[in-house]
Amino acid sequence: MRNLKTWFKTIIFYEILVGMKATLTHLLRYKPITLQYPHEKRTLPDSYRGMLCLLRYDDGTEKCVGCDLCEAACPSRVIKVVSAEVPGEPTKRYAKRYTMDMTRCLFCGLCVDACPVDALGMTREFEWAVYDKRQLLLNKEQLLAIGDRSFPVREKKLELQHPNVAFFNVAFKHMPAKEG
Amino acid sequence: MAEVGLKLAFSLAQIAVVMGVVMLTVMFLTLAERKVLGWMQDRMGPMEVGPYGVLQPIADGLKLFFKEDIIPAGANKFLFSLAPILALVPALIGFAVVPFGPNETVELFGVQFKPFVISDINIGILYILAFTSIGAYGVILGGWASNSKYSLLGGLRSAAQVISYELNVGLAIVGVLLLAGSLSLVKIAEAQSGWFWNWYIFAPPFPQIFAFVVYVISAVAETNRVPFDLPEAESELVAGFFTEYSGMRFAFYFLAEYANMILVSCIAAALFLGGWNAPAPFLQFHGGLAHLAWLSGTFWFAVKVYFFLFLFFWLRATLPRLRYDQLMRFGWKVMLPIALGNILITSIAAYLFPR
Repeated sequence: MRNLKTWFKTIIFYEILVGMKATLTHLLRYKPITLQYPHEKRTLPDSYRGMLCLLRYDDGTEKCVGCDLCEAACPSRVIKVVSAEVPGEPTKRYAKRYTMDMTRCLFCGLCVDACPVDALGMTREFEWAVYDKRQLLLNKEQLLAIGDRSFPVREKKLELQHPNVAFFNVAFKHMPAKEG
Repeated sequence: MAEVGLKLAFSLAQIAVVMGVVMLTVMFLTLAERKVLGWMQDRMGPMEVGPYGVLQPIADGLKLFFKEDIIPAGANKFLFSLAPILALVPALIGFAVVPFGPNETVELFGVQFKPFVISDINIGILYILAFTSIGAYGVILGGWASNSKYSLLGGLRSAAQVISYELNVGLAIVGVLLLAGSLSLVKIAEAQSGWFWNWYIFAPPFPQIFAFVVYVISAVAETNRVPFDLPEAESELVAGFFTEYSGMRFAFYFLAEYANMILVSCIAAALFLGGWNAPAPFLQFHGGLAHLAWLSGTFWFAVKVYFFLFLFFWLRATLPRLRYDQLMRFGWKVMLPIALGNILITSIAAYLFPR
């Protein structure tokens, strides 16, 4: 009896009919689950790792001190840093040249973690399709411009910096206020 | 002399109208297919060009016209450019014998002509079978002339598929021909007038439902549609026999595929589903006006054809591609015996119970 049933199901293409019923139900109860991308965009999560950028202090000076730690941390050798002394200030250094080859970047965020002065940030920009690959070889000015665009409001309280960490220019908020 | 000229003019006008309608249908079938597939897969389909994407086929056509036309260096140039034409022309030629409406004779300017069939020839169905099998040469030559392994594999697979399915199409039709006693599509469709149980799919003495199923499956396989799209097989063979084709040559193959789809739908409608006949006599809505009978006829014919075209899309949205050996086994070991058995039983039934 069971054999007869399976045989009957085979000759009327039972399984195919079940599948066709499924697709027809989707056609009749049509409810798209897609987004019309350029017109509608999904809200990105807070931890989204998009395009990298360089950041500035409130007064417009660059945070980056050219320490090369990001270059060392990068697994795909995206970053190239050439550091130099700030003229007239022998204790201070800055990144003379800073390039990122975004064609190789895998957006792991290790450079951002490695940066001691929080000079690197990850924005939420992801629409970086270009016709020429060389446009993805970004220099310092471009990276700073991305940073200015993505983080327009910066930390306002520079006076909360501890004197001992002033060399790295890190804003330690839990430290006591600077004296004098 | 004037009569011959007028007849020629009428025929040319008919051909122009049929070609125009077929080409327009092909254009918007590409859109309809993408839309229906999208809806069935909870997507939207083309949306960008025009309201709800209705101008998409025009945009596609323009794009194909302006694309760079590449001929591979090692290709046989003559056959490479001939192959797409060889695929498209037989698909379009088949429409010459398809009856799109009632078999009426109209007299205009003293000349009698039949408005809904370009030429009602005695061997209509043979003519169509002969020409659709020429279409396979276009595919095979296209694969061979490209001088590319993937194209050649696609062409070979197409050849093997055609020999296993062309046969089943022919044999499935034989049952209907036995009952109708004619090879002319017009006469076959005419013989199914009246209620829907006169259609050959349900007709006494022996319903051709098995032949119908065999025909539909073979037709899907012959037009190289999913689930039998082995010559193309995007995931295995890049794009099969048209890997090396670009621009308008590629578009010709596409047009041929869609024109073939319409043609096999027309044949299925005319042979099994009663052609232009309505399911019930009272549904032939001519409102008592004799000259409006064609409206009902073409309406019902179009409904049947579009049902088949929708079925093609529906199958494509549902089924995965068959494996190659499965396809051949199914064709030779399952469908061929069914078609042969159908012929045997039909001929006995037709002999015992002549209509």
